[in-house]
Amino acid sequence: MFKTIRSAFQEYDVNFLFAIIVLVLIGIITIYATGFDPIEKVNSGLYKKQLLWFIIGAGCMFAVSRIHYRLLGDYSLYIYLILLLLLLITTIFGAKIRNTRAWISFGFFAIQPSEFMKLACIILLAKYLELRQFDIKRLRELLIPFAVIGLPVLLIYLQPDFGTAMIYVPIFLTLLFLGGADIPQLISIVGIATIALFVPMMLTYLEWSGVSISGGIFSFLKGNELLYIIAGSLLIISIITFILYFFFNSKIYRAIYIPAFIFSSGLFLSVLIQRFLKEYQKRRILVFLNPDLDPYGSGYNVIQSKIAIGSGGIIGKGFLKGSQSQLGFLPEKSTDFIFSVIAEEWGFIGAVIVLLLYAYIIYKGFTIALKAPDKFGMLVAGGITCMIFFHVIINIGMALGIMPVTGLPLTFLSYGGSNLIMSLISVGILINIDSRIR
Amino acid sequence: MQFASIRTKIIEEFRKRLFFIGIIVIVIFGIFFFQLINLQIIQGKEYSEKSRMNMENNIPIPASRGEIYDRNFAPDKQNMVLATNRPSFNIIVIPARYQEKQKLRYAVKNVCALLKLPYDEIIADIQSNNPYNRYIIQEDVPFDIVVTIATNQDKFPNIMWEDAPVRVYPFSNMFSHVIGYIGSLTKDEYNTYKDVGYKYYQKIGKAGIERQYDSTLRGVDGYVRRIVDAKNRTEGEEIGQHPRPGYNIVLTIDYDVQKTAYTALGDKRGSVIVMKPATGEIISLVSKPDYDPNLIISKNNAKIINQLNSDKNKPFLNRTIQSRYPPASTFKLVTAIAALEEEKWNPNVTLYCPGKYTLKGYVDRDFYCYQAHGSVNLLWAIAKSCSVYFYQLGLKLGPTTIFNYAGYLGLAEPSGIDIPGEITGFIPSKKWKLKTFGQPWFDGDTVNLSIGQGFMLVTPMGMMNFIAAIVNSGVVFKPHLVKEIRSNDNSSIVSVVVPEKLREIPLSPTTLETIKQGMRMAVMSGTAARLGYLKVEMCGKTGTAQTRSKRQEDASQHAWFVGFGPYDAEPEKVVAIVVMVEYGVAGAATAVPVAEQVFSTLIKKGCF
Repeated sequence: MFKTIRSAFQEYDVNFLFAIIVLVLIGIITIYATGFDPIEKVNSGLYKKQLLWFIIGAGCMFAVSRIHYRLLGDYSLYIYLILLLLLLITTIFGAKIRNTRAWISFGFFAIQPSEFMKLACIILLAKYLELRQFDIKRLRELLIPFAVIGLPVLLIYLQPDFGTAMIYVPIFLTLLFLGGADIPQLISIVGIATIALFVPMMLTYLEWSGVSISGGIFSFLKGNELLYIIAGSLLIISIITFILYFFFNSKIYRAIYIPAFIFSSGLFLSVLIQRFLKEYQKRRILVFLNPDLDPYGSGYNVIQSKIAIGSGGIIGKGFLKGSQSQLGFLPEKSTDFIFSVIAEEWGFIGAVIVLLLYAYIIYKGFTIALKAPDKFGMLVAGGITCMIFFHVIINIGMALGIMPVTGLPLTFLSYGGSNLIMSLISVGILINIDSRIR
Repeated sequence: MQFASIRTKIIEEFRKRLFFIGIIVIVIFGIFFFQLINLQIIQGKEYSEKSRMNMENNIPIPASRGEIYDRNFAPDKQNMVLATNRPSFNIIVIPARYQEKQKLRYAVKNVCALLKLPYDEIIADIQSNNPYNRYIIQEDVPFDIVVTIATNQDKFPNIMWEDAPVRVYPFSNMFSHVIGYIGSLTKDEYNTYKDVGYKYYQKIGKAGIERQYDSTLRGVDGYVRRIVDAKNRTEGEEIGQHPRPGYNIVLTIDYDVQKTAYTALGDKRGSVIVMKPATGEIISLVSKPDYDPNLIISKNNAKIINQLNSDKNKPFLNRTIQSRYPPASTFKLVTAIAALEEEKWNPNVTLYCPGKYTLKGYVDRDFYCYQAHGSVNLLWAIAKSCSVYFYQLGLKLGPTTIFNYAGYLGLAEPSGIDIPGEITGFIPSKKWKLKTFGQPWFDGDTVNLSIGQGFMLVTPMGMMNFIAAIVNSGVVFKPHLVKEIRSNDNSSIVSVVVPEKLREIPLSPTTLETIKQGMRMAVMSGTAARLGYLKVEMCGKTGTAQTRSKRQEDASQHAWFVGFGPYDAEPEKVVAIVVMVEYGVAGAATAVPVAEQVFSTLIKKGCF
């Protein structure tokens, strides 16, 4: 037993492991600080739970790091299906916590399947993309990946956990990108999504800011009938030009049918989103763009977070001295806004150290992906690293007031067992891939 | 081989794409780094300030506003307090302290229910204000309401209270035009005064002494520095700064004289000024109609203020300094001085008064005297107020000389009194008449001018300064209402108002002696004979200004009385009075009795 551990440590990249442990410990210390009530002089004890999760997570990490990563690929479909079932059960029967059915209880502990699903999706997609690596430039090869991602995203959206569902999208797109998908195809997909989102956002914004909508482009966007007519005619144009292209193979037709298709499907989707996205979710994205729109709601969080970070200054206010977090002005301080607490109590220096640790971890992740022995390993390592990266930029970006408020945990730092354990398992996989390089 | 090369190509593509993502990572981390520099280093101070504002719920400790006393103040006895304060509380809310709008609404709804206030109006008003500012939900709340709120913080989350003493004016209307009143800063006032330390929630003097001496009376607010958490629970508390109470003010006004003048004027519209010419101390200043400052500063005062503002009798108008009237016969004194000084007019020369004077012209025009006086000299003309005598004197002098003397004697100069809003009298000129009416100055205008009818206008305060010049051998002191300023506990005198010379008019002693004699005769056997029995030798001059028509004797007359006493005493002992009654019947009938009562009181008080 000790021999395995010792030999394992010889194989491991100690710096990498060290960076992760330091981050988790910074997280636990910060959770200790946020759990402290300066008026009642008691601690909520949340940090003890996180410590327990860390120990469990470290065990899982060690165990996974001993499993050959290709084995994960072989079982990826089963892992995925089991988690999909769990996710379905959770979405239907899960315990309702803050209006969201994201947790499934196992007696003395509860897990969040949507967190583990991220990893399962990465592994399954990596496996698929490895199998299809020579054909992936064809559009129809993207259908299965869409289904693989679409099902859990839909279930998570129904929980409803908007933030978690959203994070799947960039992870998915990056995996396709790394897996060799055709770039114009990806750009088209993103283009459709952008158009589909832009229209409802615009309408919500105008309605909210009290602009009376009349005439011109607004009545066009608002009146669904006209929207259908335009989108429909664009679709017909694109079909006709596609048929022409099919017979005559002239590049001019290609230049017409692709953008026409993008616009028409974007507009059709926008109608769907207009109906599908809840008003508060649309507003949330708008408030991100301009927190002053809602100084009491989600804008309040961003304003308080910026105050916390900004007031930290260069050297910070000191441990347990951050007034914004200690006195409760900063919301969600142990989860979504934990970075703000660190920046407040440890200042610019502390914040930069955290950023550097993440940069180092991402750098190491990419190095492993580059050197991985096979395509599967590359994609899994790249996918996991990008997953960490997206969590970091969305969470810290939100805390800094330059990204939307989505309620995502900050990997390794935020309080939360499922995310921590999942992240540590991911690290275990990275370590295993790394160990196969040498 | 081909398979291997495709493989290498795919690997190569993967590397390129990973590098691309790597660049994105670097860019985004770079953005984060610069945003951290921006927030923590560049804007660090501003955010520290905001964070401090978040947790420091600084509760102002209002400085108690200085009290105001009458002139007989002495530190160790029971004094007449004309303005003071009583303790009370304000209920306040800072909307930015709520994380959720619903919580704010919940708290405000409960407070409105408790205080019986219209919730919809108040919540709309709160949300239209800066959420970081303190919003006063209700002023002047009793202590038991505060206790209810303090003990039910779950029902009234983040609802706060503060000491807010309420100003009290024990004598209501009687001193309203002297002392004025206080009120919340308007937006304009805030913008004007915020640089000199006024806070948006403070009160400011709006009129009278309260306005003029606001910086003396208000003191400097202190504050309690309270560290609170987001739920407004207190973590620590300390006095940030002790308040410095405002200074007390002792007025030159005498309570008894003020009360007499106030009562004597009754319900009539008009004004009374009693002053010591030797120093400029104002002993009484009454203007009617007036208002109750206690009602104006009370809560829900909007209706009262509207009512007062729309009152056609203009109760907010301080008629002593803000109204001007034709001086009427009191102006005959000016004409007389001009004649004595300029023409070396022999006061013993008699002119014949048949009851009217006919001005020759294209059409002859008659100017009347109220009775036929026969032959009168200057002294009798003053005493009996014979208009025919002054018509001729005025024509002899010419209008320009009279204008010059009216200006010379300060009738259109500001008195410089220490309450705000003063206007000056008005002296016409030939040029002015041409410009305004498109007509030249006629002799008929001169005739009217010489007895103070027509275009000439004076304020009662301007008239008082003219009388002061007669009493004080041409020296006029600035009229003032404040005698001294004392520390808040009255233990020490902060400053004493020293009489300030306003102007010195070189008039010959014989001229002044003649005028005084004429005024003395008016009391002994002339128009103001009613004052003759007083123990003090009074001098005076009545006036009856015809305001609407010069020929018809209808009720539209303003009654004047100007006077002083004792007649032959050193100036330090003399007290002067100006009484002005709007639409009084005649000077002798309505204005003189007021002067009579005022001087009776002065005599009773042993002022002479």
